[in-house]
Amino acid sequence: MTAIENQRRAVSVRSTGDTGSTRNKRRGRPPVTVGQVISYIFIAIVMVLYLFPLVFLVNTALKSNPEFFSNPVGITRTFDIGNFGVAWQKGNFAAYVLNSVLYTAVAATLSTVVSLVLAFPVSRGYLKHSRLWYGMFVVLLFLPNALMTQFQLLLRLGLYDTQLGYILIMASGLGVGPLIISGYVKSVPKELDEAAALDGVGYWRFLFTFLPSLIKPVLATTFILQAIGVWNDIILATIMLPDPAKSPVTLGLFAFQGTYTSQWGLLSAATIIVATPLVIAYIFLQRYLVGGVGGAVKG
Amino acid sequence: MSEFFPFGRRASMRTTFSIGVVFVIVFALVPAVSVLVLSFTDIRSIPYIPVNWIGFDNYVTFFSAAKLGYNIQALLNTLVFALAVTIFQNGIALLIAVALNSKIKGRTFYRAVVFMPTVLGVTVIGLIWSLIFNPSAGPAASIWKLFGANSAFFGDQHLALPLVIFVQIWSGLGLAVVIFLAGIQAIPEDLYEVASIDGASAWQRLRLVTIPLLAPSITANVLLCIVGSLQSYQIAYVLTGPNNPATQLLSLAIFSQTFGGGNASGSSASQGYAAAISMIQFVIVGIISLAVLVYLRKREARM
Repeated sequence: MTAIENQRRAVSVRSTGDTGSTRNKRRGRPPVTVGQVISYIFIAIVMVLYLFPLVFLVNTALKSNPEFFSNPVGITRTFDIGNFGVAWQKGNFAAYVLNSVLYTAVAATLSTVVSLVLAFPVSRGYLKHSRLWYGMFVVLLFLPNALMTQFQLLLRLGLYDTQLGYILIMASGLGVGPLIISGYVKSVPKELDEAAALDGVGYWRFLFTFLPSLIKPVLATTFILQAIGVWNDIILATIMLPDPAKSPVTLGLFAFQGTYTSQWGLLSAATIIVATPLVIAYIFLQRYLVGGVGGAVKG
Repeated sequence: MSEFFPFGRRASMRTTFSIGVVFVIVFALVPAVSVLVLSFTDIRSIPYIPVNWIGFDNYVTFFSAAKLGYNIQALLNTLVFALAVTIFQNGIALLIAVALNSKIKGRTFYRAVVFMPTVLGVTVIGLIWSLIFNPSAGPAASIWKLFGANSAFFGDQHLALPLVIFVQIWSGLGLAVVIFLAGIQAIPEDLYEVASIDGASAWQRLRLVTIPLLAPSITANVLLCIVGSLQSYQIAYVLTGPNNPATQLLSLAIFSQTFGGGNASGSSASQGYAAAISMIQFVIVGIISLAVLVYLRKREARM
């Protein structure tokens, strides 16, 4: 991966952010082509596949239980918002969402920092056997499924059923982090290290304050990929956190589903309660999220 | 040999690097290597009971007549799942990325919508699709009824796996689209202009310009997808539970073996046997991803 490639990518990432509105403002737009018509139709189908389930979910949440059984598929007539109150009362979702936010934020931050600390000296060749360490990063990607040993480890460390234990396990799966960071660091000229060092900047200050501002896109990607993994985890949480008070939202909602099977109005309301803050946060963050992921993932 | 180090003494670098390495070794590498060791024992999930060395017994059990049918089924399910997810997810994602790149209005919105399931999380996704495919009263059942058919959907042993594959693709598509889109936008615009002047059709531009120049993104996406789908079980778990034979995947079998799932009581489940399944899965994932990586790299070089 060369520096030029990286710069070009960085530029393209920035341009992904805008909607193409500048292009549309140009006068004398070319006529719509056949390709564009096909694109519109195709995208319309995709949008239906993604938006219909959400609309249907809202529709179901607005039905009381009797209405659901008499009219399961049609549009709601009662607009019964009682489901939300009941779901909120019985579900304890605020606590679950907070747990999830805590796990995701801490574990993703920790694993991003560890990835950075490992990747930088290896990428620069400041360590002996850098190639060997790089090999270890690749090996980390292909580790076997270690549910039972991680469980035994936490048990023996006294960290079983603790939030700390769960966070440490989640953070230790670094994934592609060290690889993509060390790839990206190569686009930062080495002379910068030397110049900073000449100015009396120490290694840690460079690593933790100067460098991050230069490699923001790849740090964002690492963080987001990791956050997605933690946010979506349900299996490790089931294993490591039997105490329901520590459940992340995935597990909390899953347990709720187990308790209120086939009370679809209530289940839909609960799902919406969980999903709404996420969707709102996502609307504000999607630029960074989506732009960031595309920015640095590369083989 | 190491390169010139501009920051004076290397002690600070060594400190942070070692902390990182120790962290990864303790929580990721040691457990992973111990899986191999545990696979030769009869360790159970109850702590502090004696653990016996039983050699290859767990592997023998995996291939024993009593378990083989079930395990072959889980293996086949895993391969079908991974193959279907990889092909369809990447194929559809590529088409969406190309369509979004064709200067249509509102593409940031479309991209955001496709990426959204990633943010919603598996349980929300599981609930939404259980609702849609609710056999007694879901919209999918109404559509089936139009054709005079009915189906148990996730309860139907022939339909369950295809539906789980569908939901998996639905949830994973966004990430693939975003990676492809970033790759496509790095392709210089003038290449398309030149191709158009030469009279290339849209299809030819896709086949002769976009796909070859997108080779690195394709490699990244396909590999991420194969490794991910060979080991993923979260969607199958939330949609059909841990012990449904029709959607039993190897990684889900590891989970239900380790912690009992619904079959055995959790405390007596043999984690040694689960470790053996995990090692078998590890070898399969390793072989397949290496083969695919070598193939894709060669293909990249040819283009």
